[in-house]
Amino acid sequence: MPRRNPAGERPQRRKDVRHGQGGDAFRCVGCGLDVPVHAPGTAHRNHCPHCLTSLHLDRRVPGDRRAGCRGRMTALSVTVRHDGEWLIIHHCQSCGVLSANRIAGDDNALALLRIAMRPLSDRRLPVSAMLTL
Amino acid sequence: MSTTHPSRPVPKTFPCVRCGLTVTASGPDGTPRNHCPSCLHSLHVLDAVEGGPSECRSRMAPISIAVLRTGDWMVIHRCARCGELTSNPICPDDNQLILMRMAVRPLAQPPFPLEAFGGL
Repeated sequence: MPRRNPAGERPQRRKDVRHGQGGDAFRCVGCGLDVPVHAPGTAHRNHCPHCLTSLHLDRRVPGDRRAGCRGRMTALSVTVRHDGEWLIIHHCQSCGVLSANRIAGDDNALALLRIAMRPLSDRRLPVSAMLTL
Repeated sequence: MSTTHPSRPVPKTFPCVRCGLTVTASGPDGTPRNHCPSCLHSLHVLDAVEGGPSECRSRMAPISIAVLRTGDWMVIHRCARCGELTSNPICPDDNQLILMRMAVRPLAQPPFPLEAFGGL
């Protein structure tokens, strides 16, 4: 799906990232899809474009492979940077650590939208209080 | 005359690092809280990766809302200095306007056109 706000103003942030140890593809722990490392729109893909599941490999620096946990990381929520870029917040199922990763151009739009809609579809939401504003 | 009484302990408070509000350390339902109910900002005192107390002590801004399987809302904070992420349950007296603003912000800036999902 085409991106509505293409990053034209600013190139992607440089990071001290160590890539290239794991070959050019990884298998998703959630759905078993073979995912190529190279993705449209990002140079730091770490999650499956289909089910958005990731693996807990890195500790502080992306690509350092120092976590030792190897737990499954599920998408917990979605946040927006000031420049309009969406980030997925992943939550490790075995140790509980949180991490953020920018979405890729081929990420499942329906899965992203379901995560973003989760707070708004809550029945306990004080919608009436908001409508009075 | 002193207002403190030996039989009534003074509730623990902390000043909000952003708006300066004096916040009690426990919410109205008795659960401990770590963020200001007015601006939802927090302070980086616990280290999630290393465990134990953190030496950062910088401001943590709320960046998003997460809904657990139980239906509980969590507010996700990011440290302004070291980028650490934490999640904490919301309190009943938290600012509903800021919570709602964080919840709708992704949908206000979608990376793909939302018209395709109108039929769903």
